[in-house]
Amino acid sequence: MSRRDQESPFRWITAAALVCLAWCCGVQAQAGSLTVTVKQRNDKPLVGAVITLETPALPSASPIAAIMDQVNLAFVPDVLVIPLHSKVLFPNSDAISHQVYSFSSARQFQLPLYRGKTYPPVVFDQPGVVTLGCNIHDNMLAYIVVTGAPYFGRTGADGEWIVPNLPPGKYSLRLWHPLINEPQEVERTVNIAADRDVLELRLSRDLRPAPLKGRPHSWDY
Amino acid sequence: MGLLSPSRALWLAMFVAGAPACAADWELALDLRAVSSDGRESFLDNGQGKLRFDEDHQGIQLGRLRAAWNQPLGEVFSAHVEASTWDDDDKNPIDLTEAFLEYRPYPRGGLRTRVRLGAFYPPMSLESRALGWETPYTITPSAISSWIGEEIRTIGLEGQVDWLGTRLGYDFDLQLTAAVFGWNDPAGTMLGAHGFAFHDRQTTLFGRVGAPQPDPEFAKKELFHEIDGRPGYYVGAQARYLDRAVLNVLHYDNRADPTARLPSIRDLAWLTKFDAVALRIETGGGWTLLLQGLDGTTVIDPGFWLDWEFDSQSALLARRMGAHMLTVRYDEFNVLFRGDPLESGSEDGNAWALAYSYDSGEHWRFALEWLRVDSDVPARVELLGEPAFARESKVEFSARYSLSGSF
Repeated sequence: MSRRDQESPFRWITAAALVCLAWCCGVQAQAGSLTVTVKQRNDKPLVGAVITLETPALPSASPIAAIMDQVNLAFVPDVLVIPLHSKVLFPNSDAISHQVYSFSSARQFQLPLYRGKTYPPVVFDQPGVVTLGCNIHDNMLAYIVVTGAPYFGRTGADGEWIVPNLPPGKYSLRLWHPLINEPQEVERTVNIAADRDVLELRLSRDLRPAPLKGRPHSWDY
Repeated sequence: MGLLSPSRALWLAMFVAGAPACAADWELALDLRAVSSDGRESFLDNGQGKLRFDEDHQGIQLGRLRAAWNQPLGEVFSAHVEASTWDDDDKNPIDLTEAFLEYRPYPRGGLRTRVRLGAFYPPMSLESRALGWETPYTITPSAISSWIGEEIRTIGLEGQVDWLGTRLGYDFDLQLTAAVFGWNDPAGTMLGAHGFAFHDRQTTLFGRVGAPQPDPEFAKKELFHEIDGRPGYYVGAQARYLDRAVLNVLHYDNRADPTARLPSIRDLAWLTKFDAVALRIETGGGWTLLLQGLDGTTVIDPGFWLDWEFDSQSALLARRMGAHMLTVRYDEFNVLFRGDPLESGSEDGNAWALAYSYDSGEHWRFALEWLRVDSDVPARVELLGEPAFARESKVEFSARYSLSGSF
């Protein structure tokens, strides 16, 4: 855009539109994608790992409204990832009562969940992992991961998580899983350029044993 | 003791529970059995047989009819009542095995306290983990659990502190327990009378062990009475590794005065002390290994000192495959009477159990068990004119229908 073009309002508008189009196309052309593959120590894919990508240049993703239900004496889902300031509703789909609590530093609360009684959603304003328990049923365990990251997700059955259209820049990548047993938090700095980036992470230690499945709920924990 | 009597405490619990703030949960279960047994006359009929169903109690039998009620009282209090009938000449057709109030506040900073007041089991059997203090692995529990169900009940106050490490990112949880109790002074009576036995018949709070004792020289077998006014105690600890392994230890002492008598039940206060340890390991492949040990003494002093040492060990291996479960268990048990050798109350024995169970849907559970108990009991010679050694076996089939819900 030159100074001469600004003399005519029509030309100015046309030029501005062209500049916008060019800028947009430029960004699209420059956007990268990132594929993260997470493997366990035994080279099997790590399913359900939570990955967050943070950069100071971008704000947290928009808050959402999510649900953490109680079904058949278990939290559903067992892991919930939400952006900062999201609201989570805790219904109780069981016929019996639950008492959900957290004493994690990211959010402390307690909710008596009796059948047919609803409570206002809980808002999560601090980033971190919130561990949920039930005061009546000690074997119930779930996690809410609260993140200020603009990009986050969980690995699929193949241990992969793909983010398309990622603005170039320097990101801080963090990995978390309920059974992770690494000596330190898994954190990487990722430089996204205008191409397809691939990152493979491999855990250095075996996972902790997964919660037992199929054990009757009526048994003492 | 300056405490409420068990019956008054129960009525108080009922009264408090009568003003419910929240929906109550209830359970009902009917357990019918088909039994084939060559057991000697059962200890329940004042014999020296080790089994609940002896040769004279075969065929279709009532295993247990059970009703339970859990009533939340506000957020952190709740009341629990367990009522059962066993149809074994019991004193009361329907009676209670447990009835207590529980205070269970929300955890703070990883710590949680729990308080129980009333009548309940001490936390020691990692085997009796199913509803109604039943074992899910076999029909008949181990010698240790059978004895606890027969003679031991906490009627008092218990406090627990849990450190919920798994909620803080650790792999371990820890628990400390302490209790003070009364109304269990006759605990030891049955060990002295017939030693260990193998049965799922828990003694009720207001009942007795089996049929009436016709001999006026013997105790009435009513075990939940206060005789000497001295409270007993137990302390215990539990460590857990995730949901995979539990180690439980307990020291129990009813602090009875062995010279004290209660003529109305023709019994003395039995000074009973024991240590119990249990380890349960479960794997992701459905295996369970359960080891239990019990070691204790019981003493009476009706003008002369009589004491018994008792111990038992049990090893159980179970494999759960979906709704199916196979279990094998081995028990050893010993009682050594250290008084007059002519009045021997000693015994030495072991037992094998093999069981298969199948959970069919939400309501039905079917189980089949073979149990063989070998025991050497010198009292059989003196009291019954029978050989001291007996091999007793039974095959038992159980069909249980259960219902639960809220109101």
